[in-house]
Amino acid sequence: MDFTLTQDQKVFRNEIIRFAKKELNDGVIERDRKQEFPHDLWLKCGEMGLQGLPVPEEYGGVGLDPLSTALALEALGYGCEDGGLAFSICAHLLACVVPIWKHGNDEQKAKYLPKLANGSMIAVNAMSEPGSGSDAYAMKTRAVKDGDGYRINGTKIWSTNGPVADLAVVYAVTDAEKGYYGGITIFLVEKDTPGFSPGQKFEKMGLRTSPIGEIVLEDVWVPDSAMLGELGAGTLIFTQSMEWERVCIGAMHCGTMNRLMDKAIKYARRRESFGQKISKYQAVSHKIVDMKIRLEAARLLAYKAATRLDKARDVAIDASMTKVFISEALVQTALDTVQIFGGNGFTTDYQVERTLRDSIGGKIYSGTNEVQRNILAKWLGL
Amino acid sequence: MGVQTGEIKATVKDYILDEFLPGEDPEALTDDTPLITGGILDSIATVKLVGFLEERFGVQFSAHEMSADYLDTLDDIAGIVSSKM
Repeated sequence: MDFTLTQDQKVFRNEIIRFAKKELNDGVIERDRKQEFPHDLWLKCGEMGLQGLPVPEEYGGVGLDPLSTALALEALGYGCEDGGLAFSICAHLLACVVPIWKHGNDEQKAKYLPKLANGSMIAVNAMSEPGSGSDAYAMKTRAVKDGDGYRINGTKIWSTNGPVADLAVVYAVTDAEKGYYGGITIFLVEKDTPGFSPGQKFEKMGLRTSPIGEIVLEDVWVPDSAMLGELGAGTLIFTQSMEWERVCIGAMHCGTMNRLMDKAIKYARRRESFGQKISKYQAVSHKIVDMKIRLEAARLLAYKAATRLDKARDVAIDASMTKVFISEALVQTALDTVQIFGGNGFTTDYQVERTLRDSIGGKIYSGTNEVQRNILAKWLGL
Repeated sequence: MGVQTGEIKATVKDYILDEFLPGEDPEALTDDTPLITGGILDSIATVKLVGFLEERFGVQFSAHEMSADYLDTLDDIAGIVSSKM
């Protein structure tokens, strides 16, 4: 496999990095402190096309292939210091926009994709529930046939963008007996639908600028036309969206790791201790070398997986490996960066402790790393 | 069609025995043994089986077909695969 970047990929990557550094980083310390979602910056990202990277141009997107999408998100991860904002974009794009683009009918795509792609509409993936996180299909939310539509009842949690969302991609049980195998269906629910409301917003250790909360569905009625894909197709659509999410968030994390490594190199080459630059101490330089090794391995996993998205039935395995390796590599890289920065790294001003806090979620969201390892073990016949 | 269905069944049976029921008596896996509803195939095994079917027989499954309605027995599997060939 040759992952040499094309000229177009290089140009777009550099454009995103320049944009992110210039537009997205001011005030991030304060936003993080206040848990403030930067809606104005979200809209600027929409102007850059970030919320619609792989969406065809006819629907207002950039029309990128999966690998180019991953590379663009890697550039965002590199340039954008606001991990919560970048995460919100990924959740919107990968778990909501991609399923609508892939499985929506012409009417749904025409109605939603242009607004989702330019950021004027924010989407939330409403899957996890209080009693079912990684065990997603143990969900209690039910959609019951009612006239020319369905009546939905249930409560969702960990819904990224939930408190600010205009549109929810809601997973509900339509046939409890079938359950995982054809008993889960997706409905597109607009925020003004009677009975739909964002519930509690959670306070978190990281990704604090990304609003995450509950979604309450109380006797919500939607017409048949709100169904995304076919009746019972929720499982496979969700699986596909998680493949995109695990791979492309991994790619974004490659950018974040690269940024941390560059910061660590710059700091180690300037900071002096006991009469010489700390970069000359192997205790420091070896940590940074390991960052580089992790970064290159992570890139290869993410790029390979991205080229297989939507092509290979077993891309789920690539996605799980990518997710586990990169999320853990990011935490280690962030920990080592804080350690190299010493006391400075422990303060908010140096902006590495925030990335460490942001990184922890990566081992939990999109299916915990423990669940990913279970998937891989089963796939290996263990 | 009869011969083709029989060949599909035999190929799939060998695959299921090898992948998901190692060491089991082949006689115990009959054409109507419930695979999904009987707990032999879990979600990951089902994806793996569909990947095998697509590659081996050159067919494509759509999202709603990954269910017990279409894949619960060797009879079901042979039926849907042959209908796609």
